[in-house]
Amino acid sequence: MFKNRKERENLLAKVMNEPQLIPRRVPDYMRKEGGIWYWTGALIMIAFMYEVLTGLLLLFFYQSANPFASSEDLVNSVPFGSVLLSTHLYGAYVMIALVYLHLLRNYFVGAYKKPREMQWLTGVLLLVLTIGAAFFGYAMIGDVLAKAATSIGSTIAGGFPYLGNVLISIFFGNGTSISLYSRLFSWHIVMVLLIGTLFAVHFFLAEYNTIMPARKEAHYRAPAVDTEKPDYKPWYPHNLIFMTELFFFVIGAIILIPSILGIMNDVPIVFSPFPAPANIVANTPPWFLLFVYKELDFHFASDLLNPFWATIIFTGMPLLYLLAIPFLDKSVTLRISDRWFVVALGVLGIVYLVGLSTWAYVYGVVFPTSLVPDYQAAMFFFLPGVAVILFTYWAKISDRTNRLHLERPELFFLVLTFLGLFSVITGILAYESIVAYSNFGAATLAASVTITLVLAVVSVAIVLGIFNPGREKTAKPAGHKARVAFASLFGISAVFIATEVSFINPVGAVNGSYYGIGLALVLFIMAGITKLYRAEVLGE
Amino acid sequence: MVKEKKKAADIEKEPKKMEKAASSANEISDAGRRNFIKAMGIIAVGAGLALTLRGVVQSIIPPSVGISGFPTLTLVDQSGNPIHTSSLKVNDPAIVAFNYPLQNEPNFLLRLGDSSNNDVAIPGGVSVSNPGGSSYASLAGQGPYKSVVASSAICQHLGCEPPNIRFYPPSSSTFPGLIECNCHGSQYDPYKGFGVVKSPTQFALPSVVISWDSATDTYQVSNMIGPTIHGHSSDLTGGTPLTSTSSTAIYNVT
Repeated sequence: MFKNRKERENLLAKVMNEPQLIPRRVPDYMRKEGGIWYWTGALIMIAFMYEVLTGLLLLFFYQSANPFASSEDLVNSVPFGSVLLSTHLYGAYVMIALVYLHLLRNYFVGAYKKPREMQWLTGVLLLVLTIGAAFFGYAMIGDVLAKAATSIGSTIAGGFPYLGNVLISIFFGNGTSISLYSRLFSWHIVMVLLIGTLFAVHFFLAEYNTIMPARKEAHYRAPAVDTEKPDYKPWYPHNLIFMTELFFFVIGAIILIPSILGIMNDVPIVFSPFPAPANIVANTPPWFLLFVYKELDFHFASDLLNPFWATIIFTGMPLLYLLAIPFLDKSVTLRISDRWFVVALGVLGIVYLVGLSTWAYVYGVVFPTSLVPDYQAAMFFFLPGVAVILFTYWAKISDRTNRLHLERPELFFLVLTFLGLFSVITGILAYESIVAYSNFGAATLAASVTITLVLAVVSVAIVLGIFNPGREKTAKPAGHKARVAFASLFGISAVFIATEVSFINPVGAVNGSYYGIGLALVLFIMAGITKLYRAEVLGE
Repeated sequence: MVKEKKKAADIEKEPKKMEKAASSANEISDAGRRNFIKAMGIIAVGAGLALTLRGVVQSIIPPSVGISGFPTLTLVDQSGNPIHTSSLKVNDPAIVAFNYPLQNEPNFLLRLGDSSNNDVAIPGGVSVSNPGGSSYASLAGQGPYKSVVASSAICQHLGCEPPNIRFYPPSSSTFPGLIECNCHGSQYDPYKGFGVVKSPTQFALPSVVISWDSATDTYQVSNMIGPTIHGHSSDLTGGTPLTSTSSTAIYNVT
């Protein structure tokens, strides 16, 4: 075993002098049911590719001198313009959500451990860059929401000691509208280029270090490296077709979500796929920055710290923790029960992130905001903190003594996270109902209590082993004839949908959305047929 | 596992082999010289980087724009005619604004009244609540009833602009007689020099110096007092100058 320093010195030598054939072959279980967890990075790459492609098309329409008018014009009078802009927005949303998913999955399985420390670090930087690119993209539209985001962003940057004004002028220009929007536009593209470059490194390291195998295969010990076995299937056609299926599915989802929202009325402005109308009053930050919004609302943050330091502390501390975790948790074990404290901090991170965002949305956007008193802030951080850490510790002890039957920990932790979240929401709603009763408040409180109870029951059921796969699945795989029948149904449906949709005049938000729904359905059919093909021809 | 260890050992040997090869090819190479050349190389790279970085940073900072002094401007309506007291409503629920001293610096123009919409004379000379900076004396109201005042309409907390930040007349039930910003709930009191009533804001809204000409019943703006307008390093920089050098037009924000 090396010392850490030596190993880092040798990373370049290793990569350059011992080149590996890539793409690497992967074990079959990574393409079977549940194998999707090994490809969360690939899903991000697909979303990123979609963003780059639609972004290139959008370059033809954006005018820095006229940001809002040119965006409105794109949505309302350019054929397919609304599909382009709304799916570019939602592609970014999906990408951010997937980045979080990828990060959490790798955090919980311990993928940051040897030999993947550098991969983890580049990944955390990619998270920051992704949110940065999303911020600039969101701000460059120039609608009321974008203007609020710009003023808040520049205030935070302006709080930087000594360099505040320089930073404002670098990122937000010298105060003229043209300089503001040409800069937001440029930084958006610069961020994407940085993402692309760093992503190349991240991806290459991932190939070099191999996809982290199932922890069982690695006997729950780091370094978990996949060594190729002779029965591994070749990339072409097995993995390529699998990737194609994922590709169709992700793009389908990216197009479907904003298209459905596009034909609905009264979509909350924070989820609207189109630029906000000019005449509304709105102060919603983008959903992925809602937690920052809430942090600035804390009494102690706003009185003791300026917005810059509040942001640095509340977003900087978790980032610093993520950057440091490969060097803090250097144990070789990959067992969740042996890493209970790391796991508890991860769950807590989710509870804080989602809790702050929901809180900001409900009390700040839906209802008028007011400063959060210190005792409320303390309770928000302290209560779930103690609860999650104690509970995780209890789960660990019980697991040791075999009183638990936790065979699907990932499901358990997922449910637990939402349970924690809804407990917090219930608490806030209950407090609010006591302070100021309203029918709406009571209804949401009832809903929140119900969801909390259901989640509690489900988590107990998981612990008691009710959902464990006790018996083998009895369902037989579909026969050859069934596959042919399904494929022909799919194919005919695709032609039918394409024909129907082709009659739509693709101008304007609503028509564009119907077109998008059709396109997304065809993409899902393509994914379905690819799956059938894999089952029939490759036996997967 | 054994194989891996062997590989690792090979890698460790690799640099040593290279050293051997180098020393046999050129006998004068020793550690001191090697490090000296390395250090010189690093210095050269550093110099090159510093030059490049300076170029990048200097080119990326935009030249500042603005004006050199506060202009004196007459408040006019959209068609360019000077406004009179009668064109301002007491406790107007609509947001009446004008830009001053730069285009991206909107200001409220308020004719303050009591809850039954009678003009309230603003005395001036009150110490303005400005927790983040030093306090200063407020300006007196202008006009025949001493009730017309003006302040920056950019919230001093995070820079939200109308209609997110607006004046609520004394008869309103939510924030009677206050300017409130719904971004994070900051409140200011226009009756007391736009001082801070409720944080998160730490600074009062800067006041616009207005004068009223009783002969013509017209209003002129000539200066700003109090904190710097939010988002600007000075009131006079960080925005496009106004198009006219003699007047600024009032407009409604909806």
